[in-house]
Amino acid sequence: MPGVAQRTVDYARNYRRRALRSTLLVAAVWTTGGVAAILFLTSAGTAPFGTVGAAVSSLGIIAGLVGTDFILVMIVLAARVPLIDRTIGHDRAIAVHRSLGKPALYLLLGHGALLLIGYGLEQGFLPFAELGPMLATPNMPLAFIALGLMIVVVVTSLVAVRRHFSYEGWHVIHLLSYVAVAFAIPHQLSLGGVLANGTLPRVYWITLYVLAFGSIATYRVIEPVVSTFRHRIRVDQVETIAEGVVSIHLSGRALTSLGAVGGQFFVWRFWTGSTWWHSHPVSLSSVPTDGTARITLRDLGDGSRRILSIPSGTFVSIEGPYGLFTPAARTAPKIAIIAAGIGITPARALLEESRLSPGEATVLLRTSMDDRYLWDEVATIAKAKGAKFYTMTGPRATSGARWMPQRDAERGVSLRSVFPDLLDSDLYVCGPPAWLELIEAEAVAAGLPAHRLHSERFDW
Amino acid sequence: MNTRQALTGIFATATVIIVGWQVGAVALGQGAASSTSSTATTTSNPASGLKSGTYTGSNEQTQFGDVQVEITVANGTITDVKTVVLTGNEGRSDQINSQAAPILRSEVLSSQSANVASVSGATYTSDAYLTSLQSALDKAKG
Amino acid sequence: MRHVFDSMGTTISVELDGTADDAARVEQIFHGFDRRFSLYRDDSELSRIAAGRLDLVDSSDALREAYALALEWRTATGGVFTPHRPDGVIDLNGVVKALAIERSGQSLGSDWIVNAGGDILISGADRVVGIADPVDRAALLCSIVLTGRRRAMATSGSAERGDHIWGRSPEFAQATVVADDIITADVLATAIIAGGSATLDDVTAQFDVDVLTVDRDGQLRATPGIRTALATGQPDSEQAEA
Repeated sequence: MPGVAQRTVDYARNYRRRALRSTLLVAAVWTTGGVAAILFLTSAGTAPFGTVGAAVSSLGIIAGLVGTDFILVMIVLAARVPLIDRTIGHDRAIAVHRSLGKPALYLLLGHGALLLIGYGLEQGFLPFAELGPMLATPNMPLAFIALGLMIVVVVTSLVAVRRHFSYEGWHVIHLLSYVAVAFAIPHQLSLGGVLANGTLPRVYWITLYVLAFGSIATYRVIEPVVSTFRHRIRVDQVETIAEGVVSIHLSGRALTSLGAVGGQFFVWRFWTGSTWWHSHPVSLSSVPTDGTARITLRDLGDGSRRILSIPSGTFVSIEGPYGLFTPAARTAPKIAIIAAGIGITPARALLEESRLSPGEATVLLRTSMDDRYLWDEVATIAKAKGAKFYTMTGPRATSGARWMPQRDAERGVSLRSVFPDLLDSDLYVCGPPAWLELIEAEAVAAGLPAHRLHSERFDW
Repeated sequence: MNTRQALTGIFATATVIIVGWQVGAVALGQGAASSTSSTATTTSNPASGLKSGTYTGSNEQTQFGDVQVEITVANGTITDVKTVVLTGNEGRSDQINSQAAPILRSEVLSSQSANVASVSGATYTSDAYLTSLQSALDKAKG
Repeated sequence: MRHVFDSMGTTISVELDGTADDAARVEQIFHGFDRRFSLYRDDSELSRIAAGRLDLVDSSDALREAYALALEWRTATGGVFTPHRPDGVIDLNGVVKALAIERSGQSLGSDWIVNAGGDILISGADRVVGIADPVDRAALLCSIVLTGRRRAMATSGSAERGDHIWGRSPEFAQATVVADDIITADVLATAIIAGGSATLDDVTAQFDVDVLTVDRDGQLRATPGIRTALATGQPDSEQAEA
């Protein structure tokens, strides 16, 4: 069987490489923060902690440097840099981005407060009495505005607050963070000796900004515009395949050069009068050809209902491809795929993309209702590639393994019984978050290492 | 060519150019002025508990040769700091002797009563001039 | 005779062995520099460059020479002294006053003192000059004899509050540099305030100057040349006024 002999991909080695890259990325993030603090210590003159006032001021400056470094790291993480996306995936990048938000804000608030107190102590003034001279210093009013904007941005991103905004409203507020970062630059460069003109610390600092804003400009602005106009994607046909579920067939030019892989998603924007302001992250539901692509999405409220009825010929702009729900993420000799509901879209494309030997893959599809759209396509591909194919239908069990139907749970079905080779497999799971977490928990309990678990949450 | 690869290449090139330009500016600025390490000065520390006498610090290797710092303490304060060059040629040790060392106010006190012809100070505005010593001098002599 | 006038935002005192014409010539020299280089005058040549109404390449030789001089000093001080404001505007304040003092001296005879806002250049007999106390402008810190090649003294301070709050606080409240020429003295005094003790060490190692600094606690540091040049307490008839 020549097909088998050809394909001895060393998944373990791929994984080790990716793990090393991931370690290096994390190390780079910590290093930038550490260097920011060291910048101050190396340039702080003789006694940065000589008096209480000086010590408080010094801590304030360090807090500002490290806090700003966090913000710049957050910008890079949100920039969808290909290297980061390929290494840890967009989801984890955004999770880290979120987890840095509050610490960064606390550091910047601390920066302001500590300097007020520190200079107050040094001058023998009350902290509030320092506000006047501070505001009278060039570039400082801008810096205060920047801090105010940053507070707004972080507060509106807290889960409890964000719920009250539409995605678009929140996003516009979030864009203010760029204004905040820009407003904070002048006071960093013009005041304080740490980043003095013509010094290496200043070069380092400027480099961080070039990387952060360069990443955003390149991958969030320029690349989408260039891709959009290069590939000229239009809606060919909107095909309703189930109640509230449509496949959108798209045509464009030179689509294979996008480098999109089955399992990845794009952020799509459909340029009709009622839908252009709303962008949609949607997975490919089949591997694109050079001239065509297909996505499948379900009406989840919001703007997505209007998409069900967009006319043929509508111009489509794209950002992407993104995502690590792909064969590139594999680390083990076998592959297990579970998908529920609309989660079938990336699972189907992933299966189509994968080069498999018979018995290498096992697929389980799950629905609690009766919508089995795309199931026949998955069945066909599974058969062609020699993958085992199972299904589970019916309402969720109320006890036992609640991610499967009641009768299966009662029979004692488990991940290990469906996927006997689970521990030698990469497990790809795609579906609603609550359901997905049950499977993740069972997989981890069964002994599956975290790096072999690849999930894609469909909560949009 | 893949759009993303092309843009990544452009981004990387632009970053290297900008950073290189900045580094180059710094390197040019510092290359012309060879910096000298500060090894010979000690700050005066009026902390009590110092015993009177002359103390010699440990050897320190510098570009000028081996250097020792000698301090003189009287009444709990450092009254003199000398840099002693143990080896090295004369020209170099001259340089180190030109460094600014702590000096007591009492040492300059007597010079205050000299009859001065002009007064140097941080640049004052024309308003501040009116309250300056130079103004008094100009009036007295004008 | 003695002539006192305002220019460049400060007050200039000239003491000379000459006529009122000589004094008027000095005043014109200062006003000329001010008209060309002041950033407080919208119509000065430097303001027009700052506003983008004039290209540097189209500017006068005098302006370009002053800029070139300032850039040479930037290099010589490792960037601590700079003719650029943080916002990028060319600001030649750091060299222009010294240039005006020097030019004034060239127009005068052999025995004179020019004191422009605390920067002093002398010619002729040795002179005793005082250094103001940074805490009290009306008090003397000490007095120095300007003698031999040492003809120029400049003092720079960090009294401006903005500086003081936002830099890592300057180490020195005041720095006085005694040198053979006024440009060296003025530039290096400015550089020491900007760069602190690291720059002080560089300057004393690299340049033939004497330096007296006052740090923020009032502690003094002096080069050996300052110690030997300290004036004696008794008014000396040889150092009498001209």
